[in-house]
Amino acid sequence: MIRASKIILLIVLAITLSGLSQLSSSQSTRPRPEVKLSFDHFYDHSELTSALKELQKAYPDLMKLESIGKSYQGRDIWAVIINNPATGPAERKPGFYIDGNIHGNEIQGAEVALYAIYYLLKNSGRLEFVDRLLRDRAFYIVPTMNPDSRDYFLHLATDSNSPRSGLVPYDDDRDGLLDEDGPDDLDGDGSITYMRKRDPKGNYKTSPDNPLVMVPCRPGEKGEFIILGSEGLDNDGDGQVNEDGPGGYDLNRNFGYNWQPNYVQRGAGSYPFCWPETRAVRDFLLAHPNIMGAQSFHNYGGMILRGPGAKNLGETLPQDRQVYDYIGKQGEKILPGYRYIVIYKDMYTVYGGTIDFTYYLLGIFTFSNELDFDQYAGTQPAAQRRGAEEEDEDVRSRMFRAGASLEEIVYHQLVLMGEQLVEWKPYKHPLYGDIEIGGVKKMGRRVPALFQLAETCHRNAAFCLYHADQLPRLKVENVSLKKLENGQYQVEVRIANDRVTPSISSQAVQRKLHRPDMLRLEGNTRLVSAGILTDRFRELSEPLQVRKNYVQVDNGIPGFGYVDFRLLVEGSGQVNLIYDSLKGGYLEQKISLK
Amino acid sequence: MSKYKIPLFLVIFCFLLAAPLLVAQVETKYHSPAEVAASLKSLAGKFPEISRLKGIGKSFGGQDILVLEIAGRKNKSEPEDRPAVLVVANAEGIHLPGTEAALQLAESILTDYGQDKAWTDFLNRNTVYIIPLLNPEAAAAYFSKPRQERTFNGRPVDEDNDGLVDEDGPEDLDGDGLITTMRVKSPEGRWMIDPREPRLMKLADPKKGEKGEYLVYTEGLDNDGDGQINEDGPGGVDLNRNFPHDFEYFQKRSGLYPVSEPETEALLKFMFDHNNIAMVINFSTENNLLNMQQTGQARVGADRVRVPRQFASFLGLDPEAEYTLKEIVDVLKSSGFAGGMEVDESLVATFLGLGPAMNLDRSDQAIYEELQKEYKSGLKEVGLDYLEKRARGVGKGSLAAFAYYQYGVPVFSFDLWQVAEPKKEDKKDELTPDRLRSMSSEEFLSLGEEKIAAFLKDRGAPPNFNATMLIKMVQSGQVTPARMAEMMEKMPRPAGATAGEENPEAYLLAYSDNVLKGAGFVNWKQFKHPGLGLVEIGGFVPFIKYTPPADQLQAALRYHVQYSRKLMMKLPVVSIRETKIEKLGSDLYRLTVYLQNDGLLPTSLAQGRRALTSYPIRVSLRLEGKQKLFAGRPVELVSHLQGGEVKKLEWTVQASKGSSLAVRVWSNRVSPVEKMIKVD
Repeated sequence: MIRASKIILLIVLAITLSGLSQLSSSQSTRPRPEVKLSFDHFYDHSELTSALKELQKAYPDLMKLESIGKSYQGRDIWAVIINNPATGPAERKPGFYIDGNIHGNEIQGAEVALYAIYYLLKNSGRLEFVDRLLRDRAFYIVPTMNPDSRDYFLHLATDSNSPRSGLVPYDDDRDGLLDEDGPDDLDGDGSITYMRKRDPKGNYKTSPDNPLVMVPCRPGEKGEFIILGSEGLDNDGDGQVNEDGPGGYDLNRNFGYNWQPNYVQRGAGSYPFCWPETRAVRDFLLAHPNIMGAQSFHNYGGMILRGPGAKNLGETLPQDRQVYDYIGKQGEKILPGYRYIVIYKDMYTVYGGTIDFTYYLLGIFTFSNELDFDQYAGTQPAAQRRGAEEEDEDVRSRMFRAGASLEEIVYHQLVLMGEQLVEWKPYKHPLYGDIEIGGVKKMGRRVPALFQLAETCHRNAAFCLYHADQLPRLKVENVSLKKLENGQYQVEVRIANDRVTPSISSQAVQRKLHRPDMLRLEGNTRLVSAGILTDRFRELSEPLQVRKNYVQVDNGIPGFGYVDFRLLVEGSGQVNLIYDSLKGGYLEQKISLK
Repeated sequence: MSKYKIPLFLVIFCFLLAAPLLVAQVETKYHSPAEVAASLKSLAGKFPEISRLKGIGKSFGGQDILVLEIAGRKNKSEPEDRPAVLVVANAEGIHLPGTEAALQLAESILTDYGQDKAWTDFLNRNTVYIIPLLNPEAAAAYFSKPRQERTFNGRPVDEDNDGLVDEDGPEDLDGDGLITTMRVKSPEGRWMIDPREPRLMKLADPKKGEKGEYLVYTEGLDNDGDGQINEDGPGGVDLNRNFPHDFEYFQKRSGLYPVSEPETEALLKFMFDHNNIAMVINFSTENNLLNMQQTGQARVGADRVRVPRQFASFLGLDPEAEYTLKEIVDVLKSSGFAGGMEVDESLVATFLGLGPAMNLDRSDQAIYEELQKEYKSGLKEVGLDYLEKRARGVGKGSLAAFAYYQYGVPVFSFDLWQVAEPKKEDKKDELTPDRLRSMSSEEFLSLGEEKIAAFLKDRGAPPNFNATMLIKMVQSGQVTPARMAEMMEKMPRPAGATAGEENPEAYLLAYSDNVLKGAGFVNWKQFKHPGLGLVEIGGFVPFIKYTPPADQLQAALRYHVQYSRKLMMKLPVVSIRETKIEKLGSDLYRLTVYLQNDGLLPTSLAQGRRALTSYPIRVSLRLEGKQKLFAGRPVELVSHLQGGEVKKLEWTVQASKGSSLAVRVWSNRVSPVEKMIKVD
């Protein structure tokens, strides 16, 4: 028995030390059930739930599935934790976090997150890169933060821009009633499109090149139509149409850093984390302080965004900016056509966004991708092809515009074969009389066509895995031991980091966001004195305050760098030297004092 | 109302009566958290018809936070559909008198229901919510041994960022039941014994040739062996810094982010679930009627703004120039871009992305200044006017700041009591920062140019900065007396004025000696400290600044309970004053409705409108059968009504004689009104 357990111990040790996961061999006795997921499909919440459960069943050793809270309507908000426990507990590895679909209509983020989970699990034991990631990192993935609006978007009549909000009833028009006048699917086609009315004094006409395209009249030109906005009625008889639809706030303005109230930042909510969905994610993030890198998914426009979200925050600290730039610029190569840009400068101002909360208060390097751009515009987003000054407005107008352009209609007719297009049809409206209803359906914009979804998923997951790989990777190097005449030992040890991310962000160091790294001794030993060697030629060192057998390393280990420690130690026998970083991992090194 | 004015002689009488008790009643009985709950329960039990006791949530340590809802039942409307006043005490956990005030206020209005006509009417029309104890864990510190001042809640916080929480708190080394101060001689010491009063310590000023000799700590040990003493004690977050206006990030005492604490969240959830709250009365160490200093630095000319280039060009404005919001509103109105929208300054501020408001809106400030006069003269009558001297403005991340800037309602913070200064001979007309702070702009201007010029000269202002200039700045609102006071405090004092500076704690010691007969100060005694060697332990008794002797407490409570009730009575009351029906043709009528605010306060503050939390008044005309609107909108929006203002609304309707028109008036912080008007 004793021998057998010794052998097992040796095997475990071998796995740990070899660095290559030997999962396939240890699993060979129990073949995994095969899970087949397809990525030419959008998963509603129940499909997503079964896909995750199926994966969890097939990979119980690598994947944990937990509900981190319930949405307003009672759907589980799922979080997946992926880690190879044979190589250490998740909380002792740098963590990488992914979330998607915080905005209900921006659905493809969940598919990207699901794909990342699927890819990591499927390729464990097959691909060296994946095994290395599962050995060195832990993954924390929330595929959809907003399951209520996801299902609303997939199953109910809406347009490509809504519901962005969660579905807690909200008084948009401040009349004391909640969600009482949303859009109505008058023609019953499952999408909210547009209403137009023939009017010789109108300000729109049809394009001479394609009758489905509406163009504004030039001055003096004779008009044909007026546009009456989204399909709908004046449900509450207050004289306005569609002024209080489902929800009406923005979960991605509800996070607790640089939060501003509704009158400064529309949609912010009454106070930070006042909605169940943001609260669940906050608790999950706070419960896993080892998370060091993060990625959010939105749509659309082909962007790799970093903070700050608002000008008042100033520029990101220079050392941290270097990390962002290094990863972001690689991202532009992984994601052709995507631009690595800064939210407030290159897009618009966001107060209380997820990404500023995670970076500024939790010290996590965070990107947010705006997935996909107009397919009919080739591989480059339209904004990039024009003058830079126009970009600001361009991003916004392209995301929320009403009318369809000529090239868009051609794409819909010839590539999607009309699947997402409603041609104008007459309708008798109780308020406007004889009108026509038509336009692009909800899935015809902002969301990739199914034939392109897999590419969106793979490339963006690849960017996540690249970022995860660039989290700090610490190693003990160059241990040397010298016995002094008085019987004490001088120990020199180098902790090196061969990745771009430091073990503590500059932001966390400067603002004291979390505990610093710690270098600790265990065993029959006493740490007498310690310092960081700042100049090894002149032997200059910066003294560290010795606490109960440990020192704090306030600045951590820099990216692509190292720190040399010099310790004065008493004791005898095997001593354990531990480098314990909250976000940078956990190292142990045995030293024999003799 | 006059019933509640306390005659001066009565007050004096009370004081005379109280005087002999001063010594005897040094220890005042305050309600412990358990006793607060018990007395709320007993009040609710005594007045079951008009009160309900509910929990709004739990403190970090799991104690219930209770609200007493008081609403008369001679009214069909639910308490949450009526304009309400919220009374909160103890958002600052150290402020025990606030809890007493809230309890007395509750009892006084409950007792008067059915006894006093005005109050009975008020409670039949409105609701009062009273939360006397927001921070039970902090308040409990007063009742526990050893006694230690504490403002923060029970959340363990890693103050020294070493990965451990609450591992090095204070200890009562000398066993006197109090956490006081330790002083120890050290070459690093920056403190010295005050030569004028050897019981007090002062910071040594090397410029005067003084040398520091002492380090000063709170009483305790270095429990975790990190070389620091008491650097990470039990708790916590200061709730009154955890509210979301002008929140200070990266301060451990403020919390990780705004509203991170269960107590603040419970309160805010309650407030947003009860959007009918139209006024907040807050008992804390702030007094915003005596000191109108706001959280941030007042920005001179803050309401002059630049218009971003893309908007400036289509409005025909100069992007380089600065405009007042009013000017932009006028331009927008005449441009036609506004469509049918009601354009006001708040809309423009939001539209231009001006960020959060940091100053009292000018029209709201006028309301505060008006009330300040009334409050001050009341204080003077009862001999509490000394409160002005140390009145604190509204703090960053405070409940009061949140209530005004984000919740958008009038908020009144009362500190109730301060340690009185020993009387000193005042140079009668000298403009000290304290005096300035308590002045309104009007009072300052009424000094006249001559006095202002003398004041400037006295302060050593540069000659090109003259009185006329200053008067203009005050008139235009660019600078307020409070702001001047702040600037004065930052300026070096003119030469010759520094002589004989008094220890800032001297007044406290005098109070301990004279009023408390020495009970407020522990004399320094030697103690052998395990880490520091020989130290001395002593200093002020915890809570000395916050817990008045019984008689002083009662006088302060009596006045503030009465004044709080007076403020409540000023809530707006909207009514339809008159309606008119005129026949214009066959089956065509003009309906005129006169809407009136009978209250003294406006139906909403300007900040409430800007913050979008005080809704416009919706006056809707409900038509029935064949009635048709000929002119006018089905819902007319009235932005607000000033105190006493009357607004005329008109519709032209096609209706048959004998039918009725229904008019409904609704806003979230105003009593709803409905009226049927017969067409004839």
